Amino acid sequence: MFSLFYGLWKYMFSKTEFHVLILGIDKAGKTTLLEKLKSQYSNLEGLPPDRIVPTVGLNIGRVEVSNTKLVFWDLGGQPGLRSIWEKYYEEAHAVVYVVDAACPSRFEDSKSALEKVLRHEDLQGAPLLILANKQDLAQAVTAEEVARYLDLKKLDERVYTFQAVSAYDGTGIKESVDWLVDVMERSKRTEMLRARASVGISGPA
Amino acid sequence: MGIVFTRLFSSLFGNKEARILVLGLDNAGKTTILYRLQMGEVVSTIPTIGFNVETVQYNNIKFQVWDLGGQTSIRPYWRCYFPNTQAIIYVVDSSDTDRLVIAKDEFHAILEEDELKGAVVLIYANKQDLPGALDDAAVTEALELHKIKNRQWAIFKTSAIKGEGLFEGLDWLSNTLKSGGV
Repeated sequence: MFSLFYGLWKYMFSKTEFHVLILGIDKAGKTTLLEKLKSQYSNLEGLPPDRIVPTVGLNIGRVEVSNTKLVFWDLGGQPGLRSIWEKYYEEAHAVVYVVDAACPSRFEDSKSALEKVLRHEDLQGAPLLILANKQDLAQAVTAEEVARYLDLKKLDERVYTFQAVSAYDGTGIKESVDWLVDVMERSKRTEMLRARASVGISGPA
Repeated sequence: MGIVFTRLFSSLFGNKEARILVLGLDNAGKTTILYRLQMGEVVSTIPTIGFNVETVQYNNIKFQVWDLGGQTSIRPYWRCYFPNTQAIIYVVDSSDTDRLVIAKDEFHAILEEDELKGAVVLIYANKQDLPGALDDAAVTEALELHKIKNRQWAIFKTSAIKGEGLFEGLDWLSNTLKSGGV
């Protein structure tokens, strides 16, 4: 009986914890973004960009934004490592997809990797934030242009947006996070994940 | 009280210290890795019964590295060393494909341990110099690393004999520990 009330209490008053996946091909700037998020939203310093090495595994950033807990999962983007992305889909509330806007030669690779992500059924309804990163570089193209290059179809049911950012100097990060928190709080996907969590152990493992 | 001051003092002036456990099945290459890190050379080793412990200074972090014997009979004693551990280096013989399943089971059993909840995990896919060694993606798959969702992990291809990949792994480890760990 107690546990029933406790469960209800927790359901109603605990801060929701949102899991956000940071994906994108190698060298897009995912880990730099993660470290920037850490330094802007938590009391951790976050690594300076010159100390960041290619990720071969999982980096985690836990931050708190206006009473909401966000857990960012940053996964390595090298071709051989992309196969593990999907293992993290099921529990993700939203996806941040990072594109190096200053490197048009890799847009095609970026586009096909993203299309594969979006096709996966475990990510159904997950809001998508596409970042045109590296705006600190002169040759970076705008978010609109990245959108044109990626030319995504069949996105109508998914909440998504494009945002120009620089993970290096922090441009656009706050807008991105605000957007994420706002859509995740209202998304069907969040409701679905919450329902599944409250079913608890009887849900799919 | 003394402890408080010591801690304060070392946090202000000292190098960071981290306790690292090197774990893995027997014959994975743990002892070779330890001495490669510490002395920069390959020593001939015999199966470790008990443990070796050395301090390795790297990137302003003093790594106290514990290499625990990997044979089945002594694996239960690993637990004695779990408290206060900041990181685990899990070493796998990437060419010993027959025993990867056992390596996986041992690995996930370690991760379940309460006292290691806060430890970050570095995996060395070792013995890359041997023919038939699986690469990092294949070892990731075999060890089911994707099941780790609440702590940071990284995998590096290493050859302890040739000295490859070891310090790249330590770079990741020191960065991760400095930027707040788990």
